[in-house]
Amino acid sequence: MLPQHMKKAITDNPKKLANLIDLINLPSTLREFVGQSQISRLGCFMRVWSYIKTNNLQDPKNKNLVNCDEKLRSILLGKHQVELAELPSLIKLHFPKEPK
Amino acid sequence: MGKVPPSLRSAIATTLMKKQSSSLIPKESTTTTPPHNPQHFPRKPTTRKTKSHDSPQTQTQIQTLFKSPNLSDAKKLFNSIISTNPKFPLDLRFHNSLLQSYSSISTVQDSISLLNHMIKSHPSFSPDRSTFHILLSQSCKAPDPSLSSVHQTLNLMLNHGFAPDKVTADIAIRSLCSAGRVDQAVELVKEFSSKHSVPDTYTYNFIIKHLCKARSLSLIDDFIEEMRDNFDLKPDLVTYTILIDNVCNMKNLREATRLVKVLKKEGFKPDCFVYNTIMKGYCMLSNGSEAIGVYNEMKEEGVEPDLVTYNTLIFGLSKSGRVKEAKKILRVMTEKGHFPDTVTYTSLMNGLCREGDALGALALLEEMEVRGCSPNSCTYSTLLHGLCKARLLEKAKELYGVMKAGDMKLETAAYATFVRALCREGRIAEAYEVFDYAVESKSLTDVAAYSTLESTLKWVKKAKEQGNII
Repeated sequence: MLPQHMKKAITDNPKKLANLIDLINLPSTLREFVGQSQISRLGCFMRVWSYIKTNNLQDPKNKNLVNCDEKLRSILLGKHQVELAELPSLIKLHFPKEPK
Repeated sequence: MGKVPPSLRSAIATTLMKKQSSSLIPKESTTTTPPHNPQHFPRKPTTRKTKSHDSPQTQTQIQTLFKSPNLSDAKKLFNSIISTNPKFPLDLRFHNSLLQSYSSISTVQDSISLLNHMIKSHPSFSPDRSTFHILLSQSCKAPDPSLSSVHQTLNLMLNHGFAPDKVTADIAIRSLCSAGRVDQAVELVKEFSSKHSVPDTYTYNFIIKHLCKARSLSLIDDFIEEMRDNFDLKPDLVTYTILIDNVCNMKNLREATRLVKVLKKEGFKPDCFVYNTIMKGYCMLSNGSEAIGVYNEMKEEGVEPDLVTYNTLIFGLSKSGRVKEAKKILRVMTEKGHFPDTVTYTSLMNGLCREGDALGALALLEEMEVRGCSPNSCTYSTLLHGLCKARLLEKAKELYGVMKAGDMKLETAAYATFVRALCREGRIAEAYEVFDYAVESKSLTDVAAYSTLESTLKWVKKAKEQGNII
């Protein structure tokens, strides 16, 4: 069985779900990358991940690392290299926080 | 994994359905299946007698003939068909097909108008019960807060000399229920019972099954009581089985036991289906002992266990950690001439995995194939989950490769466990790849797949910070 922290599916928590899938009016930083004026956090993640794959930005020696090109750098805090593991949290920075 | 494997679930559903004859849907005429049960009311006698001289091609041509719901266009189209060289024989089936085609895209009112137009312009056409059934089905399926258009169709039918019979009732009730209009279906049943005739047991059981899905127990009880007191329509063994299955799914085995007492009092003897349903109820609660109790009672009462019984029992025992006994049942099963199938093996694998013997479970995969059973996505997911839990990540990866090659879907628990196992080992890129597969194969929704990935990564990060990567 799933451990306790995974049992509470995100879909059961409407606030968390909304935070993930609601469309947000984008700050200018993201607008250029995404090419749309609105996107959800989930949609943004999918876009960024897809961009990474299409442009072969994963480091050939260590696929857990991403070598950012200029466009990616513009939305990932200017970093030249990020860890795949950090990707969700980096993207989350662009989005409004969950209301407590 | 606490779920009933999908194949077992459907096994129980289909055994219930087998007891009720195949459902009646007024599709294109000649394909009605002959009834198995001798008591079954004959359906659509006229249309079944007409031999099919239309090629299937013309049938499909008729089905998509009407493109626009506009009534005057439809009338014009009809006129042009019968006046130009007809490649279709202008019989009842032809008119029915046209009406069917038009009614699927228009309103009830317009369909009735088209029918009247057909009658007026082609006097040799005389609508039959089946024609009205087409209209009836449409009026039941369309969303409508009241029964007014249904009543309208029924009155039209009456005016043409066809009183609603059990077939009419069956079509109406099934269509209403499938459109989610259960309360109206109940209302209509009561109307039919008082004005025309009581619905037959198949209709009755169908509506009770839908009530179980959509309404409370007390409402169902009231309905049963009302039908019994006012119309002398009583639950039969199938009805009781449906009710028992319903309460078992609500984990209320006490109520299930009470229902068995009731059905015995009413003069029925529990059959294999009833026992299987109760056994399944106990298995879902991981109560292996009670499940065995049911098995023993069956044998005492002279009811021969069938494949579903054995599969249920093996599933339940495996789930409760009693794999040795499950294997014993497997032996009994084969001795009695029942062949273990995919469900049997998957259940055993589940049990072995729970005991930590993931390799033993994997070995069963080979045995399955030798016996000619094809593993399904549940089988693979069970194994994947078990291998991950047993920390056999390389084997898990191998199995995942087989799954991908076979286009197998990942079940939620297996996906989550696999992603976690990979992340725990720092194999983040591989975890992302599994995420991609889960999304692409539609094993999970985007939201579910992503949320699991995100929360797992968070968990790994936290564990690292706290200095414990387990």
